[in-house]
Amino acid sequence: MQRRPIIALATLSPFASLLLPGTAQAASVGQPAPDFTLMDTAGKPVKLSQFKGKPVVLEWNNPGCPFVKKHYQGNMQALQKEVTAQGAIWLAINSTRDDSVDHMAPAQLGRWMTEQRASPTAALLDEDGKVGQAYAARVTPHMFIVNAQGVLVYAGGIDSIASARADDIPKATNYVRQAMAEIQAGKPVSVANSRAYGCSVKYQPA
Amino acid sequence: MPSPTEFRAFAVLRLLGAWLLAAAVPLGVAAQGLLGGTPASVTVVQSDQARAEIVAHAPDGAGPGQKIWVGLQLTHAPEWHTYWKNAGDSGLPTELRWTLPPGVTAGDIAWPTPRKFPIGTLANYGFDGTVVLPVPLTVSPDFKGDSIDVKLYAAWLVCRKECIPEEGNFTLSIPVQGSTGSFGAAFEASLRAAPKDQPVADSRLQPDEGFLKVSLANLPAAWRGKALEFYPETTGLIEPGAPWTQAWDGARWTARVPLSPHRSESPAQLALVVAEANPPGHGPGSPGARLDVPVQGAWPAVAPLPAAVPDALQAALDANTARAAAPANNATSLSLGAALLGALLGGLILNLMPCVFPVLAIKVMAFAKHANDRAAHRANGLAYSAGVVLSFAALGGLLLGLRAAGEQLGWGFQLQSPAVVAGLAVLFTLIGLNLAGLFEFGSVLPSRLASLQARNPTVDAFLTGVLATAIASPCTAPFMGASLGLAIGLPAAQALAVFAVLGLGMALPYLAASWIPAVARALPRPGAWMDTFRRGMAFPMFATVVWLLWVLGQQSGIDGAAGLLMLLVVLALLVWSLGLRGRSRTALAGLSLAGLAWLGWAVGPHVTRLQETTPGQAVATAVQGVSWQAWSPETQASLVAEGRPVFVDFTAAWCVTCQYNKRTTLADAAVLGDIAGKNVALLRADWTRRDPAVTAALTTLGRNGVPVYAIYKTGQAPQVLSEVLSVEEVRAALSRL
Repeated sequence: MQRRPIIALATLSPFASLLLPGTAQAASVGQPAPDFTLMDTAGKPVKLSQFKGKPVVLEWNNPGCPFVKKHYQGNMQALQKEVTAQGAIWLAINSTRDDSVDHMAPAQLGRWMTEQRASPTAALLDEDGKVGQAYAARVTPHMFIVNAQGVLVYAGGIDSIASARADDIPKATNYVRQAMAEIQAGKPVSVANSRAYGCSVKYQPA
Repeated sequence: MPSPTEFRAFAVLRLLGAWLLAAAVPLGVAAQGLLGGTPASVTVVQSDQARAEIVAHAPDGAGPGQKIWVGLQLTHAPEWHTYWKNAGDSGLPTELRWTLPPGVTAGDIAWPTPRKFPIGTLANYGFDGTVVLPVPLTVSPDFKGDSIDVKLYAAWLVCRKECIPEEGNFTLSIPVQGSTGSFGAAFEASLRAAPKDQPVADSRLQPDEGFLKVSLANLPAAWRGKALEFYPETTGLIEPGAPWTQAWDGARWTARVPLSPHRSESPAQLALVVAEANPPGHGPGSPGARLDVPVQGAWPAVAPLPAAVPDALQAALDANTARAAAPANNATSLSLGAALLGALLGGLILNLMPCVFPVLAIKVMAFAKHANDRAAHRANGLAYSAGVVLSFAALGGLLLGLRAAGEQLGWGFQLQSPAVVAGLAVLFTLIGLNLAGLFEFGSVLPSRLASLQARNPTVDAFLTGVLATAIASPCTAPFMGASLGLAIGLPAAQALAVFAVLGLGMALPYLAASWIPAVARALPRPGAWMDTFRRGMAFPMFATVVWLLWVLGQQSGIDGAAGLLMLLVVLALLVWSLGLRGRSRTALAGLSLAGLAWLGWAVGPHVTRLQETTPGQAVATAVQGVSWQAWSPETQASLVAEGRPVFVDFTAAWCVTCQYNKRTTLADAAVLGDIAGKNVALLRADWTRRDPAVTAALTTLGRNGVPVYAIYKTGQAPQVLSEVLSVEEVRAALSRL
């Protein structure tokens, strides 16, 4: 009988155990998207399930992140216009903790969106990070698509070239645009998971 | 207020103009014979966060056939870091693009062993302090020239909590004659810090539901008993910041690493680096070991929707081996093709389920009737199949429509309504009474309707198909659960296809029987026996009514069940009196009709009313100390948080398979003994009535109907057992806890 020294790398506080798969694992593609209610920049509650029947794009956003800036030179705005013009919903979600240098108050985030000429259906604040963790959002921008039945059908990066250079955008495959076109055509999403790249989401410490 | 750095996409690049004298100036050579002037070569780019410098190491010169080293040296400001080839949760690896003269080629970056940088619940892999990223250059034997002029475009993301992408264009001239060696020590340190390639031997990687099981052999003996860090070279595979476990078993190191829920890669080989955890100092980590380990077994399927999942074939084969092996714990391992196959098999198996028995009886009758009429047989077979397929599609469509409207429903939902159950009970009572000979449809129904059956056997067969579907839907057969669970998430057209194929599977045996003459010949000839057989068939019908009454009793209580029984009695009186003649017919029929109307008004509400639930009652089992408690998400969560394994029985009164399992396997003494031994909590999630919480829990398991048996344990993905539960399977699942 050999004794096996076990080295626990994480003290499993009750809260940490909630993060373990099997209890509260983040939703993955093919599973129902976790429902949530968050306040928009005007202080109105917005609930994911109120959009049942329409596809919903979720965009994890943090204006301070260079990768967000890369795509807000027109790329993200164009995509928002296309998606909402198709009758789908676009929710920008900011999970930055309130003591981070990147944190923006609701009104400030609202102003930034206006300045950028962005047109999400709503920009939402998730300062305690609960929604971000439920989706396992890791970076900004991290993109998700929930189909009309409320199932998560895409999770990953905005496009296929992981870089901070805006001149890579025309060369890249935009996975969100591709998935939305497939959804509108009633086809399965061909690339349902891709590498998400960007800055870490500035979460509240667990 | 964001700090100014936050608004700078690119740091101001400051040119120090530091010349690499040793590299740029050939020793003792004044005239280079250059025709043009040398372009001002930038060798250093510096910002507040990092200083980047192009460096070279060619102690023996850079002549033809030589191997020399070039690279980028990054010196980070305190607290800042750049990234390894797999950056972890966020970030980007440093990128080097070389422009070289003809005859000179660059290899890949010889990455030093990284460090792990936790950031909240996330983690990154990279370097702080000073690091050189070395790249080998090969000079071909026929290279001509006095110096190698190297151009480098480099892009690196430098992060503390915030990130700043930086880039630079560098040039460097390496003389062919003479030595370039002032960065020798930095290169050597970096190459020493590179992970050593190790033979794989019997190292293993095995993906599990939500985890990667790692087992490595042949690691350096000096590491034994120490905590290691695990760095896969593939990005987005694991959760770098999530808690994980590792252990030494003699010379073997094992670990259980959580997989990312958004994994986009399923490699057959995985190159990985392990190194001592938390090395002191700055710069590269302490030298690790690199192994390229084959992955055993299949990765848990990532996405259900791409049609070309290689696992699809596997799933279909698995379904073929009619071992009701536990399906994957979500429907995602099925592609549409596999789902259709599963649905077909599920439909076939439906014919063996007790719910369908009464309908089988009706079909046997029909076959006997048309024993020597081949054409009628074929028409009937087709009409019956059409009835089944269309009804399945219609039910599926209704289900999808209601769900799209936001209803929390699942397969068998129509039986969650007491009104539907009561309606079925009335229908089966009438069929039973008719078979028993109490009345003929002709004497009860308007003659035009009644003669329909006789004149139009095709319509009759079609309606039998509809009936079969209505009554069979509560029996989820093996393989069906996953198909249905998947169907709910598919685009409508594909989902309907799955439902239709389910119906096709159920109708297939009759279709085959009606088209294959051998079967028709084997059937007995019509005769006097048919009358006896017909009367005998009344009893299975009444047995079905008893079952439906029991289901209704679960939903609306004893008053509802008794009320429905009274209604059935008066209904029987009515159909019998309608078959009488003359004055007695008028009087009796009038009386019973009035009675029926009064009963409908007086006890009808009792029948359709859902009685209040009384949850929380523990149901004892044969084993002391083991009892079933009512399930709720909160109860389950709190028991799991206590560290107890939890066995959940998702069941419903109207689900025959559930009841069978409950009375056999789940009451088995050996199973209950194991449950007591492992201190497993037993929870029963009752879906007899609509319960959105139960529907939601089923959905997360990728299922949409009962029975479902799931075992939850903290730190493990839920185990889902098969629908037709065997004692061995439950005991095996319990032994894995």
